[in-house]
This record gives sequence, structure tokens and C-alpha cells, in this order.
Amino acid sequence: MNPDHQKPIFKKAADRGLAGCRTCGLMSPMAKQSKCPRCHSRLYYRKPDSVENTLALVAGSIALFIPSHLLPMITVTEFGVAVDKTIIAGMTAFWLEGAYPIALVIFCASILIPILKVGALLWLCAAAKGLIHPSPGMLTKIYHITELLGRWSMIDIFVVGILVSLVQFGNYTSIVPGPGALAFGTVVMLTMFAAMNFDPRLLWDRLDDCNRRAHIGKFAKTFFSPKSK
Amino acid sequence: MKSRTQHLREASHSWPQPDKQGDTAACLFCDTIHDLVDIQEGEAAYCKRCGNIIYQNRRASLVRATCFSISALIFMLVVQFLPFLTLNAAGLQRELTLINTTTSLMRTDAPILGASVLVFTILAPFFLICGMLYSTTPLLAGRCAPGAEYVVKWVYRAEPWNMVEVFLLGVLVSILKLAQVADVHINAGFWAYAGAMLCTAAAIAGIDRRELWDRLELANES
Ligand SMILES: [Zn+2]
Ligand SMILES: [Zn+2]
Repeated sequence: MNPDHQKPIFKKAADRGLAGCRTCGLMSPMAKQSKCPRCHSRLYYRKPDSVENTLALVAGSIALFIPSHLLPMITVTEFGVAVDKTIIAGMTAFWLEGAYPIALVIFCASILIPILKVGALLWLCAAAKGLIHPSPGMLTKIYHITELLGRWSMIDIFVVGILVSLVQFGNYTSIVPGPGALAFGTVVMLTMFAAMNFDPRLLWDRLDDCNRRAHIGKFAKTFFSPKSK
Repeated sequence: MKSRTQHLREASHSWPQPDKQGDTAACLFCDTIHDLVDIQEGEAAYCKRCGNIIYQNRRASLVRATCFSISALIFMLVVQFLPFLTLNAAGLQRELTLINTTTSLMRTDAPILGASVLVFTILAPFFLICGMLYSTTPLLAGRCAPGAEYVVKWVYRAEPWNMVEVFLLGVLVSILKLAQVADVHINAGFWAYAGAMLCTAAAIAGIDRRELWDRLELANES
């Protein structure tokens, strides 16, 4: 026996025919019922079509991400002159004026976080499909961070709402939301739904597949290779 | 020598659990199956494989969840009537209250955005707070409110859509944005909303999901 094969063996609930409820944590046998007896949530071993749903929602958010930055976020009207402002224009204006912290907050919320989130979700999907070697420990952490950070992008929409309601001085100055705001809000919501649809348990399943394959490979080598040289 | 009260406390360190429930729990992140172990108040049970928390035993969980829900509800009710910001520009004064953000978006041809802001900043927090209050208060007397299991289920589903803290940061960013053109002040509403945020977070985190469901099931049976 190899000492590094003495690792503890982890049993999965799904292998025993049990499904842990995502809402209340109760373990129920899958064969008998498809609904949790305690909270009436749907039961499943893994979220059905998790990767496909996640990818579809991510695709939608990528498609909307581009117009959300090209279309005006707000339209500022000063003395009858209307000026469209995109997210990037607003951000560069702050940067040039020397208001670096606020420019950085806008950059993180509206550009960096959505891109990182979409990238992370694509990476997670690739790992769950077995396209890249899974390292679930790190990927689960990435998943946590993705879920945690995603909502902060909504800050742009709130700022638009606050500006629109505060800056209403009749003929002098007024601010109206543009189509970019709606597109951006949809991007954020789609990425949130995408993260919710992803099932991190798939990552550990792939790792187990890999380990099993490696184990069988080692087994085959020791038994079927010619012993005499 | 241990006193009798100490013994009693140690004997009942876990929350009451239904008997018929299986003695295992699965990790939500890697599906590894674990045997249930009793843990002391203030401790948590972690997954042996991936290290995520499976369940935890919060101190004075029911009382804390109820009290923080009540204070969060008071804060949320107060917030509706207090201004967040006051803006002075060219002799004109404008005040921003929470609902203004929604109504002005609705008025300026952005009804979808307005509705989502309404959900994220007012409806979701209210639902979380009232749902927690509705389910935990009767539990203090060992009873289950009618339909509490549906309420609790939807409370946990609505949790990610509660964006109070994001809105607070949004207020700060807008202050910085407007500070160059006008005189802007933070008002009492901002602090009340911050209080609502802290109390809601404390109420939700104050009781473990598993504990709340176990208690609900027990109260339902009796
Ligand atoms: Zn359940
Ligand atoms: Zn785990």
C-alpha cells in the first residue's frame, strides 16, 4: 500500500441515494420523493442543466454588456442643451478632474466586476464540464467571491436613480436615465442569476472522476505491464 | 467539580432536534456526507473536505434573531419618512428620501429600473425583516406560525436581492459626484438605513438555517 493512498475517503450523499435539501438541509432519499418533506423545495442530486443555464445567462449578459457601455447612462439637460453621458465618459471625467477614488469605485463596479464575474463563471463552467483540470478548492473560493461581489455592480443603477431624483431644477438642470442604465441593470441581474444557477458540487464530481481515472490507470499499470524485464 | 447548572448547560448545548430526522448532513458545496455532531454554542461544523460551514450553533439564536428583526423593522419604518440627503444649489433646496429614487425613475420613462430599485431597496429588506419576525417570534413560545415554512423558504431565496448596503455606497458615490456642483449633506435617513442594514444582517446571521428549520418542524409537530 502506498502511504499517499491513505487519504480519507469522502462519501457523497448522491452515491448513497440521498439528496440534501438546498433550502433546509434535510437529507431525503431521492427515490421516494422529488420534493423535500420539510420545506417542499424541489430535490435533486445536482441542479438540473446547471452548466447550460449558467452559460445561457452569461451569454445574455455578455451580449448586453457592450450596449450598456455604448448607450448613454444618463442625459443631462442644462438650459435646454441635452448631453448624453456613458459610464466610461463619466468615469474619465472624474479621473481627469483628479477625483481618483470615485473614478476607481465606478471603474470597479461597472467594468472590472462584471468582466471578472463573467470570466470566473466561464472558467467554472469549463471546469465543471471537465475541459480544464479541476482544482475545486480554489474554484469554490472563486465562486464565493463571484456571488459576493456581483451585487455591488448595482451601485451604478442606484447612483443614476439618486441623481435623477435630486437634480431636477426645472429649466436649469435636469437628469434623465438613458437606455444604457436599463441594459446595465439587466447585465447585473443576469450575472446574479447565472451565479445562482451554477452548482459548485459539479467541480468536486470532476475531481473525483479524475482521481478514479488515475487510480484505474495505476491499477492497470501494475497488473497488466510485463513484470520481467 | 462541576456545578449542576453547568452540567445542565452542557447537556443541552445543541438546539432541540426532531428525532426522525436522519443523522447525516451533506455539504452544500461538495456534497460530502457527514455524521451530525453536537456542537457548543458559538461553534460551527465545517466540511472535512472543502472547509465550508455546514451548520453552526449561534448564541441565543432565537432571541437575537427576533430582537434584531424588531430593531431592523423600526429602522426601516423610520427611514421611509427621513431624508437621506439635502442638496443646496443656487438658492434651491432638494431632499432625497428612499422612495424618491423609485418614483423619479418611474416618472422619467424608466419603469423597469424604478421597479427593480423598489424591490432591491424597499420590498426585499421589508420582506426579509417581516419574514424573520413572523417565523421567529412564535418560536420563542414553541409555536409555529401558519405557513411559516413557506415564508422562511422565500426569505432565504430573497436574501441575495436585498441590496441595502449597495444603496448606501451609492448614496456616498452620489455625494462625491454632486459635491462639485452643489452643497450636499448627509441626513438622518442615511444613518437609519445603515442601522437597518446592520440589524437585518445580524438577524439573518443570528440563527442558523438548519436550527430554524429544526425548530419549525418541532413546533409544527407539537
Ligand atoms: Zn427542505
Ligand atoms: Zn464540503
